[in-house]
Parts: sequence; structure tokens; C-alpha cells
Amino acid sequence: MLPQVLFQNRKPRRIATMEEYCGSGGYRVLEDIARGKYSPADICRIVGEAGLRGRGGAGFPAATKWMSVPVDGAYPRYLAANADEMEPGTFKDRMLIHVDPHTLIEGMIIAGYAISASKAFFFIRPSYDSSAMILERELERARQAGYLGDNILGSDYSFDIILHRSGGRYICGEATALLNALMGKRPNPMKPPPYPTVKGLWNRPTVVNNVETLANLPHILRNGPEWYKGLARTKTGAGTKLFCISGKVNRPGCVELPIGTPLREIIEEHAGGMRAGSEFKACLPGGASTRYLTKDLLDVEMDFDSLSAVGHRLGTAAITVFDQKTCLVGVTLNLLQFFARESCGWCTPCREGLPYIRDLLWRIENGEGREEYIPMLRQMSRDVWNAYCALAPGAASPVESLLTFFEDEVREHIRLKKCPFSRPR
Amino acid sequence: MPVQSASLRIAMPRLVIDDLEIEVPEGTKVIEAAERLGIMIPRFCYHKALGSAGACRMCAVKFIHGPFKGLQMSCMIDAQDGMVVSTTDEEAVAFRRQVIEWLMMNHPHDCPVCDEGGQCLLQDETVSGGHGLRRYPGRKRTYHDQYLGEFIAHEMNRCIHCYRCSRFYQDFAGYRDLGPMQIANRVYFGRFRDGPLESPFAGNLVDICPTGVYTDRSSRYKARRWDLQRVPFLCIHCSLGCSTVASARYREVVRIEARFNKSVNGHFICDRGRFGYPYANLAGRPRRARVDGEDASLAEAVRAASGRLDQISMNAGPDAVALVASDRCSLETLAVLKRISREKGWTHPAVFPRPDLEHKTRRAVSRLDRRLAVSMRELESADFILAVGIDPVHEAPMLALALRQAFREDAGIVVMDPRPVSAPFDFEHVAIAPAEIGGCLSRITEALSALQADSAAQGKETRRPEAAGPLRADLDSRIAGIVERLKGSRNPVIVCGTDIVRDSTPDRAADLALLLLQLKGRPCLFFVLPGPNSFGAVLLAESPGRSFSDVVQDIEQGKVKALLVVESDPFKNFPDRERLERALDRLDLLAAMDYLPTSVVGRAHIVLPTCTVFERGGSFINQEGRVQRVEPVHEGGVPVHQVSGGGHPPRVFSHEVPGGEIEAAWRTAVEVAGYTNARDNLSILKIMAEEHPGFARCRDIPTSRSFRVLPDAGDRPPVCEETGDGAAPEAADTLEVVLVDRFFGTEELSGYSPVIQNADSEPLVFLHVRDAEPLGIAHSDWISIALEGGGLEVRAGVSAQMAEGVLVIPRHRLLEWQKLGPVPARIPFGRISKAGKE
Repeated sequence: MLPQVLFQNRKPRRIATMEEYCGSGGYRVLEDIARGKYSPADICRIVGEAGLRGRGGAGFPAATKWMSVPVDGAYPRYLAANADEMEPGTFKDRMLIHVDPHTLIEGMIIAGYAISASKAFFFIRPSYDSSAMILERELERARQAGYLGDNILGSDYSFDIILHRSGGRYICGEATALLNALMGKRPNPMKPPPYPTVKGLWNRPTVVNNVETLANLPHILRNGPEWYKGLARTKTGAGTKLFCISGKVNRPGCVELPIGTPLREIIEEHAGGMRAGSEFKACLPGGASTRYLTKDLLDVEMDFDSLSAVGHRLGTAAITVFDQKTCLVGVTLNLLQFFARESCGWCTPCREGLPYIRDLLWRIENGEGREEYIPMLRQMSRDVWNAYCALAPGAASPVESLLTFFEDEVREHIRLKKCPFSRPR
Repeated sequence: MPVQSASLRIAMPRLVIDDLEIEVPEGTKVIEAAERLGIMIPRFCYHKALGSAGACRMCAVKFIHGPFKGLQMSCMIDAQDGMVVSTTDEEAVAFRRQVIEWLMMNHPHDCPVCDEGGQCLLQDETVSGGHGLRRYPGRKRTYHDQYLGEFIAHEMNRCIHCYRCSRFYQDFAGYRDLGPMQIANRVYFGRFRDGPLESPFAGNLVDICPTGVYTDRSSRYKARRWDLQRVPFLCIHCSLGCSTVASARYREVVRIEARFNKSVNGHFICDRGRFGYPYANLAGRPRRARVDGEDASLAEAVRAASGRLDQISMNAGPDAVALVASDRCSLETLAVLKRISREKGWTHPAVFPRPDLEHKTRRAVSRLDRRLAVSMRELESADFILAVGIDPVHEAPMLALALRQAFREDAGIVVMDPRPVSAPFDFEHVAIAPAEIGGCLSRITEALSALQADSAAQGKETRRPEAAGPLRADLDSRIAGIVERLKGSRNPVIVCGTDIVRDSTPDRAADLALLLLQLKGRPCLFFVLPGPNSFGAVLLAESPGRSFSDVVQDIEQGKVKALLVVESDPFKNFPDRERLERALDRLDLLAAMDYLPTSVVGRAHIVLPTCTVFERGGSFINQEGRVQRVEPVHEGGVPVHQVSGGGHPPRVFSHEVPGGEIEAAWRTAVEVAGYTNARDNLSILKIMAEEHPGFARCRDIPTSRSFRVLPDAGDRPPVCEETGDGAAPEAADTLEVVLVDRFFGTEELSGYSPVIQNADSEPLVFLHVRDAEPLGIAHSDWISIALEGGGLEVRAGVSAQMAEGVLVIPRHRLLEWQKLGPVPARIPFGRISKAGKE
């Protein structure tokens, strides 16, 4: 059996209770903190040694982000947990909340202590209302148990978590847009400097972490950085990762695996292999804003560094698998419809460029394609990299990789003046 | 490169843009540095006043060396040492062309019917960027437009989403009713519902929109930019003297735009200044001279006026001839009138309608000096502002915008005023009666000078401030708070109005400013004066001053037989209309010179039409002593469409311009006085210089430059000038009447503008909720005010955010407050009742 860390209290068809979490060693770290075992700097150091990288997609080292909060920075400071999970194919945050909510809550308190924050916001996607209700209930339990609120467990540290349901747009998951949304403004991203860790919510230092990142913290502190690093199957990696597998596999779902598990193993073993009659054609290795990964890279180790070494991104580790019967022009069009709709409308490349790309893809998929659209698409998927935030470059990744790896398939659409995969009517 | 000191190198990064080297102050964006080199990097969202946004991605340039590499937005990156930037790099040019294509995907290409055509940034960048052929095969997005009021037309299909409008409207100006809605390529800039824009600065949207989403309704479909006669101009709708650009076509003023002025208004102007111009185009404007009701040539009318005035001065003595002018007269006119009255022995001109206004303006002007005066731009960098007796939005609109900029930089603002002041920034409102303001200022000065005595910095000009009158106990703590904040600030500014305050308040404000100057070492005094040339008027006034009330008295006593009214309408400001009519009827001669169809022009025996500033130019002095001269925009004469009955092209052919014989007021006045050798522009400059030595510089500097006529040190504080200040005679059952100005409807010139008349709303008479309750009056109830001399039925406004014991009555055009008869200082509660009117 593979080591289960975040999912160690996973119960079939129900949520782990606070007692069960405590029984597995939960809130022990918090008690240590209350007893003064760790200073905020200790926590930053331990988490830094453990090599924990952000699980939201960018893979930025968590401790480095915390330590960029200026020592003489203003108070109050804030923590925001990002559970605005809208990346197509990704559902790990939801799983975490439904499996073991208290590992998240304890993680948030630890992170809050590490940056000396007094208040945290749990920013959750509104369509996760059932998850939000679970959290509201469990937060209240934690409050009654003295884990949250004034003078936690008799210490002089006070901290509380406010659950905030988002307005419900993909862009709200971008850290700076999330902060604007929390402040009641339009969720437009803000280009640093100043970084949110210097001037974030209401101009105070604010750290935004993905919920999966936060859930790792109690386990790192409980078992030490060496243990955490040892969990990974790559030398540079650390810990486990929640992989969300969907598409033409036998057992789609969310599994916790050591970071660096080879893609082939994930698909063949942990997802039950390809469906009968399906043959692996490509996959999106880390959510909709990563490039298509083709057959020749099936043995790649699923870790931040090993994927970027071959020109791909781990992203949110949401693997969507396509088989030989799937039209990738259609898939890309579907993704672009999502991204064009979810642009915040701030900068031109994203606001106007993505609908342009979507229109050209729609034409190709529906038999109105022209040869000159291919260089136009290629140029535009490069040009949108000059957008304000990372949404448009992410949206361009499937388009660019479609044209790189499956240009023949696109040309076939144009030549036939229809989609070669469409079933005859 | 020679080695410079480290601090200097940090302060002035040196970079290379397109092979040209430049040194700029730290914090300068690359786009700005390029502009200094004369390289205009294309941009839509970047605006000097609004800063960088990074939204349009149009200003992309290639960074070749330095801390940034590759394609970057030049508006987002601070210039740094060692940067090498190319604006013409192939990659950058190609990307910018792509951005233009994206922006033009949904643009309606309706340039032929768009008012922005010819002055459109989008048009320019599209053409210069080389995007000529359309590749996008899809359909265009369309929007519904909104009704945004009488001033601005909305055409959202043209929008390129640069966010300039919302950044100006919400961030810069501080109003919330216009902004972006929806996301992705459906982003919509507008209001939640159709309706007039609430901001009095909304007209600036026309200037800052890089395409034709917001266009000026008042000038819609009238001209292309290249058809216009455009001249750098000056706004004369309040005392601030903002810079504008005036445009005319076919002898008609068509449009006013804001003009950048680094000392006065910055980039923007208010809607009163922008849409107030149509007074110059009125069909009913006096264009023909009249003598005893008959049309006459200007020369005949001048002869008649000249002859009759001379006769009356011969028969009844020269002082039986009185002159009346106003603060909308140019300096030229005021100087000539002063010269004439002195040489002819006529009674010298009364410029101000009331003696108190004359007195306060004179005190303010005499106390302002080079050490104390701050400009409006300097005010923006203040860290604490105490504004007394002023409602900024209504009395000096652009001052409110300047205060907002200070507020955005975390300045504290305290407004001490009885009115229900509302402004686009947070401020502490000390709502006290006008009589209490002076006392508060004295208390503050007293407390601060005690501090100064402690710090042993004995200034030469300190003197004991007069003992402050008794004050309400609850004020004590607030005054203490203000004193603390003044103490703690580095750069405080005192703003003082002159309309509603008591006579000695400007002096007290100046006393406080003088003390702050000693404490902080920075200029800190900003007066707001009654009108565009009030400053000039008091510089030229004789002492003792004269106001129109004195003139009416003299007429009633039979001392004055003839009145020459120059560009002034006593009916607008004189509080008792019946008395004024009786007085004017007693005159042997009423001669009026004006370009407005005023009531006085209507009843004058002799009418001498004059030209507006648009037609003859003129000089004005704003409230900080800045002399600003402008050239005429067009030749004058009856607008072509009025001559031709609206037909096009005009069918009336003649060598002379119809209505072209009329002249500036000073020139006609010169003719009436018979100074035949003083007709040209050189001699008027000579007269001005002779009448006030400060104006001598007008001869030497071009009209594009302004200068301040301020003494190095102002008047010493008056020794014993205490006129009716201190606590007002309190009568428990009365309300103090406070007559006030409003943004629209009280200023004379803009009052004639049809577009402003359409936009203006019914004025309210305000009283405090605790005063209203016993009378059973609720907000927007009709009330009637019945006095011996007359009465008024108006809608009441009830507010808790104002002083108790005052009744705030706007001198509004629609209100006919002059019907109240002689306005008493206080009105008994018994005279105010709820009216049955619905």
C-alpha cells in the first residue's frame, strides 16, 4: 500500500470527524505551537527544508512565499486559502474537504502562525456549496474545541477563519484577482510589485496558498522534513500529490500518490488502464492550461522539475486522458470556449484574442476552416503570452501544442471540410 | 560615462531608447521617458493623470539589455539604469499590429458619423499601425447604449476597453455610478441603469476616451476637429481660472475641452466650465445697439450715451453718474472703467453686489502674498487640509477634485461649514454656523501659537490673536483634534471661502496660515473668491470700496441720476427685486453694456452690445493672483446659422460680418468716454500698467504664460477691524439665512446655457432635521417662507449633516429667491410652514 498522507483518514462515503482526525495525531502540532515549541520562523524553516511546493499550479516554494512577508510588515496580516477550484479536470480541493476537513483547518492555523496572521479567508467556489457547508460546520467545531478564536489553546495567539463563497469565476482563482474579489472589487489580477505578501488585502501583507499546500503542513511538522522528502519518488521532489484522473480510463478519480510517480504507472495501475477499445493518444498532464502530452512521454515522472525539463507543466496534476477516437480540435475548442468565457476582460490579448482563437477553431471543427488559419492560430497563441496575467498563456498552451503535435489532424479537418471524427449522421 | 555620486545615479536612471540616451527621475515609466525624447509609443490605457494600467498592451516595446528582456509593456516598467529599449523592433511592431487587429475586431467602423473622427486615438493608431485589411471572419459584438444625461452621448460599440473612463470616474474623481460590468469580451462601461451621470466632472470622459464612446452632446454633429478654430482658453465660470481649449466654427463656440495646466487644473475641468459656453451663442444675445427702444448703429448709440452722460454730469455734477461692473469683466474693462471714472469724476465702479463680499475679497487679496499662496496643484500634495466656509463642489468645483487627490494620498480633510456639504472624498465635517467659523479659527491659532511659544521659535510677525468669542462646549474637543492634526502635519493648507463667512474670517484664516508658515515653512493659504476676476477687481478698486447696494442707496437719495452698467446684472444678485426696480425707474439714464440678454439690458435706455471673451480675448486674475490672458477664438458677429436661418451653405453674402461692429466692453467704454487715442491693444496694455503697476508685465510676456501679481509680503493684519463677527445675536426661535451658490444654476454665464438648464435639477432649501421636526417638515416637502416684503414656496431639504439654526437658500435661477424681498439675517420659525402644495 502506498503511503497515504492527506487521505490517511479517507472513509468510504463519509467525512472524517474531528475526533478521527485528532485520533490520527491531528491538532498535535497546534498544541505544540500553543506550548511554544515552534516559533513562526521555525515553521518557515522546517517547511522550507521539507521542500513543499505550492499545489495550485505554479509550484512556488511555500516557505519562500511566507518569508517574503517583510519582517517589519504592517499588522493585521492575512492568509487566504484558495479553494476556487475551477481548472477543468481538477477536483482535488473538493476531495480534500470531503475527506478530512480538519487537516485543512489545522494547516491554515499553522500557516497563519508562520506569517503572524490574525485572520484567514477560506475562499471557496460557490458551486462547492456542499463543501462550504461542511467547512462551516467543522470550523465551528474547531472553534468550540479552542483551536480557533482568541488565545488558541491558552496561548497568546489568536486566529480565526472566515469562509467566503466566491462570485464564481475562473479568474478568481488567480491570487491577486482573488484578493480583489475578497475586497469586493472586480476580480482583475494585479501585476506585482507590490507583491501581495507586502501589500495585499487592504494594503496589508497577505499570503495566498492553495488548500492542498496547506493540508500538507500538519503532516510535515508532525513527521519532519526528512520523512516528507522521502515520500517522493524523485530526488528533487517532496511529498505526495493528489492526482485527478479523468478521461478514457477505467477508474477515473482522485488518488494520492508519491510525487514523481511515472505517468504510465498512474494510468495503467492507479486508474485501471485505458478503457477497452481505447488507445492512449494524448493527455493534459496538469489541467486545461497545460500542453498536450503525447505517447512518447508516457514514462515521464510526474513532478514539477521532471515535467518542465521536457517542456510540460505539472499544473494542478489533473490528468485528462484522450484516446485515438477523440478529436483534439474539438477538445481544444471546448477548452477555448471555457477560457474565452472566463477572461476577466482586463487586457486585450485575453479579452479579444481568445474569442478570436475560439472562432477560428470553431470554423475548423465545423468545416469552415482555411489553411491560412493555421499560421494565424500559431501566431496568436504566441502573442497572447504578452497578456497581463497567466490566464491567456495557459489558454494558449493546448492550442499551441495542438498545432505542434497534431497539425496533421487540424489539416485533415480543413481538407475534408468537416471533422474526421464526427460520426456520420 | 563619468562616475557620478551614488545618490545621483540612483535618483536619475540613464537609459537608451531607440539609440537616444536619456536621464529621467527614478520612478519614471519607460513610456514617459520615451515621450520626453519625443518618441510617442502607442498607447490607449496609459494616461499621465491616471497612470499605468497595463490593460491595452499597445505600448509593447522590445527590451534589449538591462534587467528586463524581450517584449514588455513600456507603461508597466520603471526606467532603470542600463536599459536599452527599441520601440521599432520588428517583434514589437508586429505584436502592436496584432493588438490593433484584436481591438478592431468588434469596432463598428462608424467613423463617418462619429464625432471623435479626426481626433480619435484609435483611428490614428489603427492607421499608423498598418492594420488595414480585416481578417477576422466572425460577427461583431454589439451593446445597447445608455442615456447618461444631457452632457454625454454613449456609444458602447466603439469601446476598446482601455478602462480609462472607469479609472477616471471611480478612482480619480471618486464617483461610483459609472464603471465596468460583466466579464470577458462582454465588459460594459456604463451605469447600472440609464440616467444622468452623478459626477460634476463627467465631461472629462469625453477628453480621456481614446475613441468615441463618450462624446460631447452639446457639440454633436457640429464639426470635425480640423474645421474648428481652436485656441488655448480660460474658464471664467468660477474664480479658479482653469485652462481650456475653446473651439469655434461659423462664428459660434462649439466645444470646450480641458487643457493641461501644471499649476491650476491639471488635466481636467468641471462640467460647468465645459458646458457653460452656449451663453456666447444665444439667439437672444444683444447684437444691435439700441437707443430708447429703437435699433441704432453702435456709433450712434455711443454718441447718444456719451452726450447724455456728459449732460447729466454737467447738470447734476459728475458724481451723479455711477458705474457698475462685475467680476466677469476682463481686467482691460475694469482698468478702463477705473480710468474713466477718475478722469471724468464719475462715481467709481461698483463691482461687487454686496458690501460684505467686497470687503472680504479685499481682505483676502490684501493678505495673500508670495510666501503664503498655494496653487491648486500644490494643494494636492498637502497632508492636512482645513477648509472653512466653503462647499468645494459647488463654489469651486475643481478644488473638490484637487482635494480628492490629496485625500487619495492619505491627506486628512476637515470642512468647517454650515451647509450639508457632500464631496467625493472622506472628510470630517464641522457643521457650524457662519458666525462660529471665525471664532474656531482664532481658537486654533491661539492653541498653535502657544505651541510655537513653547518651541521658542519667536517669529517676527506673531501677535496675540484677538480673544476668541465664547464657543459651544462640544466644539472644544473637535478644535483640539484639528490643532493636533495641524501640529502633526508637515504640509497643511488652509482653504477659505469668501461667500458665506463673516467679514473678518479671511483675515483669521490668513493669521492661521501665517503662523503655519512659521511653523512648517511652507506656503499654506488658498482662498476661493466670488468670481473669475474678483481678484482683479479689488486690485483696481478705489478705497473705500463700493458695492451695488451703495449705488441703489445713492439712487434712492437722488445722488445718482445716470447709471452705466457694464457686463453686470444687478437683478441676479440684488436681494430685493421690487426695490431695485423702483430705484432703476428713478434714473434719468440707464445705459447697459453687455453680451448677455440680462434684465438690465431689457430695461436700459441705451444698450451697447459687447463682445464675449471668446470674441475679443481678455485678462483675468484667478483667486491665487495668477494673471491669465487669452486671445480671441473667433472674430465675432452673428453665428452663420442664425443669419442664414439654419440653411447650409449660408445664402447671405456681404463684405461685412453681420453683427461684426460690436466690440469688447473696454473699447466701447473708451469710445463713450471719448478717448479716441486709446483704441488699440497697445494702449490698453498701457492703461492697465498705469492703473496697477503689477499689470506692467502683461506687455512683456506672451499670452501662453501666466504670472502671479502677489506682493512679497501681504498686508499686516488689521489692527481693529471687527465687523459683526463673533457669536451672532442668538434668537432661539429664528433661523439664520445663508444664501449660497450651487454647481449649476447660480453662476451667471452658465445659467444661460440651454444644455445646463436641461440638466439642472430643482434646488432645495436646506434646514437641519432638528429644526425641521418641530415644524413638521420632512425631506422634499414643499414649504412656504412668508416675510413682510414677499414670500417663497420651495421644496425643503432636511439633513442631519449640517449646522443647526441655519436655513440654506441657494441663489438659484429657478428659485427666484429675490422675491423674498429684503432678505433678513434671520427668519423666525413662525414664518416657515409646510405648504399644502404637492
